[in-house]
Amino acid sequence: MMHTSITHPIGDFVRSISPFPELAFGVNLLLSIIAICAVAIGTAPILIYMERKVCAAIQCRLGPMRLGYRGTLQTIADVLKLLFKEVYAPAGADKFIFYLAPMLSLTAPFLALTMIPFDYNLQVVNLSIGIPFIIAVNAFGILGMLIGGWASNNKYSLLGSLRSGAQMISYEISFALILVFIVMVSGSASLMEITQSQSGGLFQWWIFKIPGLGFIAFILFFISSTAELNRAPFDIAEAEQELTGGYHTEYNGTAFAMFYLAEYINIVLASSIGVTCFLGGYLPPLLGIESVDSLLIKIPGFIWFAAKVLFMIWAYMVVRWTFVRPRVDQLMAFEWKFLLPLNLLVLILGALYISFIGF
Amino acid sequence: MFPTELKDLFFYFISALTITTALATVLVKNVLQSAIFLIFSFVATAIIYLMLHAEFIAISQVMVYAGGVVIFVIFTILLTSHLGETAFSTKVPRNFIAAFLGLSFLGLAYRFLFQNHSLLSYTPSAPLDYASLKSIAFRLLSIQSNGFVIAFELIGLILFASLIAAVSIARKQKEEK
Repeated sequence: MMHTSITHPIGDFVRSISPFPELAFGVNLLLSIIAICAVAIGTAPILIYMERKVCAAIQCRLGPMRLGYRGTLQTIADVLKLLFKEVYAPAGADKFIFYLAPMLSLTAPFLALTMIPFDYNLQVVNLSIGIPFIIAVNAFGILGMLIGGWASNNKYSLLGSLRSGAQMISYEISFALILVFIVMVSGSASLMEITQSQSGGLFQWWIFKIPGLGFIAFILFFISSTAELNRAPFDIAEAEQELTGGYHTEYNGTAFAMFYLAEYINIVLASSIGVTCFLGGYLPPLLGIESVDSLLIKIPGFIWFAAKVLFMIWAYMVVRWTFVRPRVDQLMAFEWKFLLPLNLLVLILGALYISFIGF
Repeated sequence: MFPTELKDLFFYFISALTITTALATVLVKNVLQSAIFLIFSFVATAIIYLMLHAEFIAISQVMVYAGGVVIFVIFTILLTSHLGETAFSTKVPRNFIAAFLGLSFLGLAYRFLFQNHSLLSYTPSAPLDYASLKSIAFRLLSIQSNGFVIAFELIGLILFASLIAAVSIARKQKEEK
């Protein structure tokens, strides 16, 4: 919590052995940062490997097979290669903005990850303004992309960043409205309380709790978050065939790795938000059958959370390699003429459901 | 949240950051760099709000200014200025007017802030949860004398109408084609 001092075993231990009780605060800070970095940076190579394997399976290939058991070491080798590359900016580029852009892009998902409850006791901060915080912090991702494209001094980069900026700003409205729907039905903007409002079994999750409407809201969330993530079929930002890579064409080495990392952390983040808001977060899917439930409860919450997040990520990956990319105008028309009106309708129906039927 | 001494240290750090980035916004020659420094100064201001336990105002600051206004400013700069152009100069008479305005603002701020002696001697911090999301929401929807329910509903209606207007404008263009 925001205002209470830190009370956990490690903090108490530090307080008991050190003459400076302030040290507990520093240790707490350090542990939180390490935990978030471990989750964010640790999952990225796994996701890259998973993406290549899912892609290969859909295209009837094998994917990376040579390095390590079934290609498991391939991504580590790729990361090492990327980190040892020389970092240089193109001639005529604005160096300050050029190197600032990937850092800004990476800031957004790291900040938002602090809000995610991975388990009941596994959350960095439980702010009452969790959902607004995530929406607010999302802007830094757009910002990093916009100025990165400009600073590259390349017209394809600028085109890619401009049109993807327009896309992300448009889809952010839908993204925020769906989260507002969840805040409205659960009565709280804190992600922990949203999870707690779904306790009591599989059919208490928001995807099932409001018949029909919850599922529509989940699909809308999935579409708008795919667009927010800039993933195919909405990968207007990169569009290899049209823009030779979009806003990060001119980036290489560590700077490119930071953009790439931000992309994969954003996938984890969007899946975590989806799982927390619709799929019950860390809660086990209790079915109401006594013998099965007693087994399901024994599995710790963070394993349920990880399993659900992996399922969501798998869904994003399958969608990426299944659908074709729409044109820019089709994309914007889809948001403004279909997704947004439907969103508003879902919001109104949800309000009607709460006021006339209730839970 | 913070131990007291660290909090003071952090406050001075953030204030210094706010002032430096605000100065950089004005002094940097490149328009886009100045917009980016503006974002940093907005975020630093939001952190000061956060330290005052005004969480919702801090988040609104980031959402509206850093996320909304400055992104549109950057969009405008990207669409209007040429790539890599750094032409951005102010004329001398304008500088004098700006100095006059700035100094008179400082004088006014001094007059209003430091004439009040209670402000100099003691600053009570707001009670806990005074500006949290929940208390602000209850106050906005309250029908008591200190509530803002009519204003809130009106603003909500206007925003909703503008969203629908945006959708209908997008639809109209298609029909004309």
